[in-house]
Amino acid sequence: MIELLSVPSLLTVQDAGRTGYRKLGVPVSGFMDDFSARIANYLVGNPGDFPLLEFLLTGPKLRFNASAVFAVVGDVEVKLDGTPIEPWMSHWAKRGDILEVGTLRSGLYGYIAFAGGIKCERLLGSCSAYPRAGLGRPLKTSDRLSVGHVILTGKEGRFLPRKLRPDYSSNKVEVRVVLGPDLDHFTQDGIETFLSSTYTVTPESDRMGYRLEGPVIEHSEKGPDIVTGPLIPGSVQVPGSGRPIVMMKDAQTTGGYAKIATVITADLPVLAQSRPGTEVSFRRVTPQEAREILKRREKTLEAIREFLDGKLRAYSVRALGKDFILFAGKI
Amino acid sequence: MKNKLEKDIEDVFGMFKEDLHLQRLRQEWDRHFDVDDYRILPLGDSALLISFGEVIDDEVNARVHAVARAIEGEDFEWLVEVVPAYSSLAVIFDPLKATFEEVKRAVEPLLDVSAETFKGRKIEIPILYGGEYGPDIEFIAEYNGLSVDDVIEIHSGKTYRVHFLGFLPGFAYLSPVDERIATPRLERPRLKVPAGSVGIAGRQTGIYPIESPGGWRLIGRTPLKLFDPKRDPPTLLQPGDEVRFVPIDEEEFWEIHKAEWEG
Repeated sequence: MIELLSVPSLLTVQDAGRTGYRKLGVPVSGFMDDFSARIANYLVGNPGDFPLLEFLLTGPKLRFNASAVFAVVGDVEVKLDGTPIEPWMSHWAKRGDILEVGTLRSGLYGYIAFAGGIKCERLLGSCSAYPRAGLGRPLKTSDRLSVGHVILTGKEGRFLPRKLRPDYSSNKVEVRVVLGPDLDHFTQDGIETFLSSTYTVTPESDRMGYRLEGPVIEHSEKGPDIVTGPLIPGSVQVPGSGRPIVMMKDAQTTGGYAKIATVITADLPVLAQSRPGTEVSFRRVTPQEAREILKRREKTLEAIREFLDGKLRAYSVRALGKDFILFAGKI
Repeated sequence: MKNKLEKDIEDVFGMFKEDLHLQRLRQEWDRHFDVDDYRILPLGDSALLISFGEVIDDEVNARVHAVARAIEGEDFEWLVEVVPAYSSLAVIFDPLKATFEEVKRAVEPLLDVSAETFKGRKIEIPILYGGEYGPDIEFIAEYNGLSVDDVIEIHSGKTYRVHFLGFLPGFAYLSPVDERIATPRLERPRLKVPAGSVGIAGRQTGIYPIESPGGWRLIGRTPLKLFDPKRDPPTLLQPGDEVRFVPIDEEEFWEIHKAEWEG
C-alpha cells in the first residue's frame, strides 16, 4: 500500500491507453510520453503497458506502507527518506520509507513505476484516467494505492545510463509529420508556412491538445471547417485563427477543423515533453518513412528492456566523430 | 473542363510534383473526381481515412457504417479499431504489423458493401422541454417565429438517426432537425452544460452525455444516462440507432432520473 502525502500537480494513473471505444466517443488517453513510461516499467521488471503514475512537472511525496520496488523517470531530483537517489534506476523501498519527487528540470511529464504495477479498477479495459467522463480521477493527498503482488528480488538496482535516456532539455524541437488528410482546405502558401515556420507551444496546452503560436496558416476558399471527421492523437487541426492545435492523448475522437498534418507516433512523446515556450518546427515524412522511424524506436526500446533485464550489455562507442551505443548479447 | 475545386487541389499539390508519395495522394484525388466516389488518405502513420465526400446524408452515413462493420468483421491482425463519422471513417492500425499500402489494399474491396443491411435499434428518449432544463427554447421559438409548443412539436415529431458518436464519450451526432427550428449557436458558450441537456446548433441536435462546456442552444433535458463506463456498452446510443424524443413532465423526469442516476 502506498499513501500519497502531498500531490502538488496533476497526478494520474496511466497505462498504454483505452482502445476499442473510440467509435463511442471515448478518447484513447494513456501515457503522454510512452517512451519514458515504458522505460519506467522496464526498470522495475514490468511489461511496458503496466499502469503507473504520471505527474505533470512536479512529483508527489508518498509513503510506502509495505516494501516495494519503484523507479522514477524524468530529469528530476528524488529523495528516499531524505537521501538523494538516482532517477532512471529501480530502488527497494521498505515499509515506512518516504519518497519525495521534485520538479522536472526539463520535460513536462515524469513517471513513477512500481514492480507489479498499480492496482486499479479497469474501466473499458484500461486504468488510464480520463476524468472528464468519470473514467478515473486526478489523484489527491491521502489517496492510497495498491501495488500488484510480485517477487521483488532482482527487480531493484536496474539503471539506465544517461546516454540511453531521452533528452528533453532543448527549447527547440523538430517534429516529423505526415501531411494531410485535409490538404485541400489549405493554400499552397499555407502548407509552406506550416512546414517552414517555427511555432511556439503556448500555456493553453494540456493532455487533450497543444496550442501553438506562430505565423498564420492560410486556408483555401474551402475554409477551416470540415464536415466533422475522425481525429487521432497527433492530428494537427488548424481552426479559423490559422494557428495549429496538435491533438494529444486525451483528444476528442472526432473534430470539425481541417487537419493539415499528423505528428508521427515516434515523435509524439517529444512534443508531449515540450514546455510552453518551446519552439517547434515541422518536417514532412511519408507514412513509410514514419513506419521505419517507429520500427527503429521499437528496436531501441526492446534493446533497452533486454539491457535492463541483464540479457544485453551496452557499450558506448565513438566512431566517425559521433557517439553510438552498441548493444551486445552473449556470443 | 476542370472545376474550381480541382484547380485548387492542383495548386496545392503542384508544389510537390517530384514527390512520389504526394503524387500518389494526388492520384487519389484524381481518382476520386474522375472515377470513384471515395478517397483513401493517410492519417499519420497509424491510421487511414476513407472519405465518401464532405456531406451529411443518411445514405452516405449508412454506407460509412456498413464499411466499418465489414472491416471489423474481417480478421485483420493489424486492426486496432474503426472510428466512423458523418461521411468518413478512420481505420486505426498497428503500423508495426502493416503498411499504409497494405491496409489500403485490404479495405478497398470492402467499400462496395451494401448499406441496406445496416439497421439500428429504435430508441425513445424522454425529454423535459423548456424552463430551467431548456433555457433557450424561447429564443429558438422567437428566432424562428414560432410558439414554444410549435418548437416542441417539431423537435419531437421526427425520427433522428445517430450518425456517429464523437466529441465526448456518448455524444451522438443526429440527423438534422427540421429547418423550421434551426438556430445558430450561442455567441458565448456556457462554461457548464448539465449532463442530459438536449441542444440545437444550426440544424444539428444532440445530447450532452456528461457535464461540459458547450455552445449549443438548450431546448430541454433527458433524465437518461447517456454514458456510464460501468455499463456494457457504456453508451445508451449506438451509431445507426433511430431516436425519437418523447416529451415528459417534471414529475416523470425526476422519477426516471432517480432510477437512472441513483439506482
